[in-house]
Amino acid sequence: MAIKEKTAHQKTSKQSSLFQYFHDKNSLLDDLQKPVSATPLIVFKIIFGALMIFGTVRFMTLGWIEDHYVQPLFHFKYWGFSWVKPLPVFWLYVVHYLMIVAALGVMFARGFLYKISAVLLFLAFTYTELIDLTYYLNHYYFVSLVCFLLCLVPNPSPPAPSPEGRVGVESDSPFGGWGAGLRGLWVKGLLIPHWAILIFKFQIAIVYVYAGLAKITYDWLILALPLKIWLPAHDTMPLIGEIFTWQITPYVFSWFGMLYDCTIVFFLAWRPTKWFAYFTVIVFHSLTGLLFQIGIFPWVMIGATVIFLIPSSPPTPEGGADPTPTLPLGAGGLLLICFFAFQVLFPWRYLLYEGNLFWTEEGYRHSWRVMLMEKAGTATFYIKDTKTGREGVVDNSEFLNPHQEKQMAMQPDMILQFAHFLGKHYETKGVYQPEVRAEIYVTLNGRPSKLLIDPQIDLMKETDTFTPKDWILRYEDED
Amino acid sequence: MKKIIQIPYILLILLGLSTACSNSGGEPSNSFDRQAMLQNFAQNLIKPAFGDLQSQVNALKAASDNFTQTVNVQNLTALQLAWENAYVSWQFANAYNFGPAGEEGIRKGLIEEIGTFPISGSKIEDAISNNNANFNDFNRDARGFLAVEYLIFDLENDNTSILTAFASQNRKDFLANAISNIKTRTDAVVSTWNNTYTTEFINNDGTDVGSSTSQLYNEFVRSFEALKNFKVGLPLGKRPGQTQTEPQLVEAYYSGKSLQMIENQFIAIQNIWYGKAKGGTDGIGFRDYLENVEGGNALISSTEAQLTVIQNTLDNIPNTPRFSAQISSNFTALDNLHTELQKHTRFFKSDMSSILGIAITFSSGDGD
Repeated sequence: MAIKEKTAHQKTSKQSSLFQYFHDKNSLLDDLQKPVSATPLIVFKIIFGALMIFGTVRFMTLGWIEDHYVQPLFHFKYWGFSWVKPLPVFWLYVVHYLMIVAALGVMFARGFLYKISAVLLFLAFTYTELIDLTYYLNHYYFVSLVCFLLCLVPNPSPPAPSPEGRVGVESDSPFGGWGAGLRGLWVKGLLIPHWAILIFKFQIAIVYVYAGLAKITYDWLILALPLKIWLPAHDTMPLIGEIFTWQITPYVFSWFGMLYDCTIVFFLAWRPTKWFAYFTVIVFHSLTGLLFQIGIFPWVMIGATVIFLIPSSPPTPEGGADPTPTLPLGAGGLLLICFFAFQVLFPWRYLLYEGNLFWTEEGYRHSWRVMLMEKAGTATFYIKDTKTGREGVVDNSEFLNPHQEKQMAMQPDMILQFAHFLGKHYETKGVYQPEVRAEIYVTLNGRPSKLLIDPQIDLMKETDTFTPKDWILRYEDED
Repeated sequence: MKKIIQIPYILLILLGLSTACSNSGGEPSNSFDRQAMLQNFAQNLIKPAFGDLQSQVNALKAASDNFTQTVNVQNLTALQLAWENAYVSWQFANAYNFGPAGEEGIRKGLIEEIGTFPISGSKIEDAISNNNANFNDFNRDARGFLAVEYLIFDLENDNTSILTAFASQNRKDFLANAISNIKTRTDAVVSTWNNTYTTEFINNDGTDVGSSTSQLYNEFVRSFEALKNFKVGLPLGKRPGQTQTEPQLVEAYYSGKSLQMIENQFIAIQNIWYGKAKGGTDGIGFRDYLENVEGGNALISSTEAQLTVIQNTLDNIPNTPRFSAQISSNFTALDNLHTELQKHTRFFKSDMSSILGIAITFSSGDGD
């Protein structure tokens, strides 16, 4: 991606670090390895770690460990991760406390201790996310990705060994590192290779731009759906509530949201506009945070985008310093290339499927499609004893909590998982080789509900793969 | 060069302005007065329903006191009638299990505490013979209206056997205490609604979880689903794993008033939909709310078409023999009722919450 940009542009005078980055360097590799001030990364790590602690404490105090992981009888699995099981409640708490400790490590530790903390944070957080697909949120996915990238960044290092040999701070003892990390905030001289900052900016850019592109749809821009449904429900909000009753408001919000998401990173990356852009980041995310039940997401974005604000150019231009911490071109570099290739390409996989993406949701997740549609369904499962021919109707609430049922009732892969669970469950209850079919009525953006899947198909005979699910009915067909 | 630098600035300012523009171009459209709706629900539906329940329960208690004083057929028949009246009035109050009637600590919703069925005859008999009834434990199938029904009705309408059984003082005590327990719980709910809760209910006029609209809506849907799953589905053997129909699982099995209760609850559900008082005065209900939102009119017509179908199916079920007997003699008609109720679920459950923007769970959604 970056290479393409570089060759596509002519060299011009420098205007900002971003343009400079693309234009001035002879070698992309040199630029990626160029030592720059570590301050943006250090600040980013502290903010991110603090948010992780806040998020984890919030999760525990709301009783969500019990609600999400302990009480449900059944958990929906991510494709390929069905082996991830919830630990007993005591150990789930241990994992969450470990996350807090690891987040502290990411904030302040250095050296080996930092690495351990970052890896631990990544594994623990990702583990909790993988327990149940119901609670998938794009911003949790984003947090996982950032945790992963944090495992790869090298430690900030001083520009050159100082006469007193202070480099030893890192290696004296693991705990010496904590103080050094704190001091790192104020020691301007610490350096890291440029790529260690760029990877986070690039990841944030992907989130915003893809979220913006996903909004370029007929419903979102022309019909102002689903905002036309969502906004009037907030007419009792103090001061601004009345705005949400105006007909034009959903249109303005829709267009503004799309343009904002598509362009905000460029304004953030460009020095003359970055502070104003950051101000709009705060306003935009605070507003969506007030309007919608989206938890800590606004704080994550307001926190993460700080990395754009602090200049990363080295204090001594062309200092000739050795690019001390180098990009490990072997495994590490390759890993990063694969990582970002995946990030850039994976969200487009929906193009390989037929049908309306919002309806089938084949290729919907992990693609930064956030708050794009109002969708809800009622799912009725029928269990048939193939020996007696007797068919029973399932009461979903016997097995699922309201959140699980809500999510399941509109997403075909979850419907299939639940159907298989029901089949196995009732087989142990004495139903002979159960046939499981489901009548699922789904409403999309306020339109009258329609059948989502073929109600006659025996779901026990279907498996979840990446191939198109031909039992999903087409949205366009009239029923 | 200067000009190029200006462009992003201008774009950004335009973006900012576009928000400001909404101030000039706005005209009120999607405004619906939720507070007025809540006011109507509180004053014309919920409080009258609980008030009515309270007076019927008082009448039930009086009849029971009379009966335990003098055990005779006349007093028993009066008691049975008082039970029927009280239980019918409960059908109009059983959808409001929130606020004072909601869960709190180990207390479950009012419907679990006084409306659980099927009851356990053996638990009740044990409690009577050991004289150790506890109306606050987890044995919710040994108290409430249907425990009382079990004591005062006989499956074969054999009142003499009931009178014989009530020679036992323990049995009289159990009956009196079971009714007192219903009364205590009902009185508590009525008093909170009369004192502080009405204002709280009307003022909590948002759409988030915990708002009055959301609580009322959730209980409304739960009431509809309970009607379908427990009053109709379960005795018809509709639960997976049931190998046959189970007529003894109907509501009001001993009195045989099952169909009457289904009909009354269905009226109560429609009253919530229309915002209609029991006496017939039409106020602001969910239907009126839907009229004011995107996609609402389409949903109103499909909902009401299906409500008519359900009503017709209900009307096709004769009053005699009792519902539990018709499960074998008139299965198709009852099965149709279940099917039509099932077809209706989506209109109330997902379609309505979706376009009204009512939050159902506390968990976070996807951010933007």
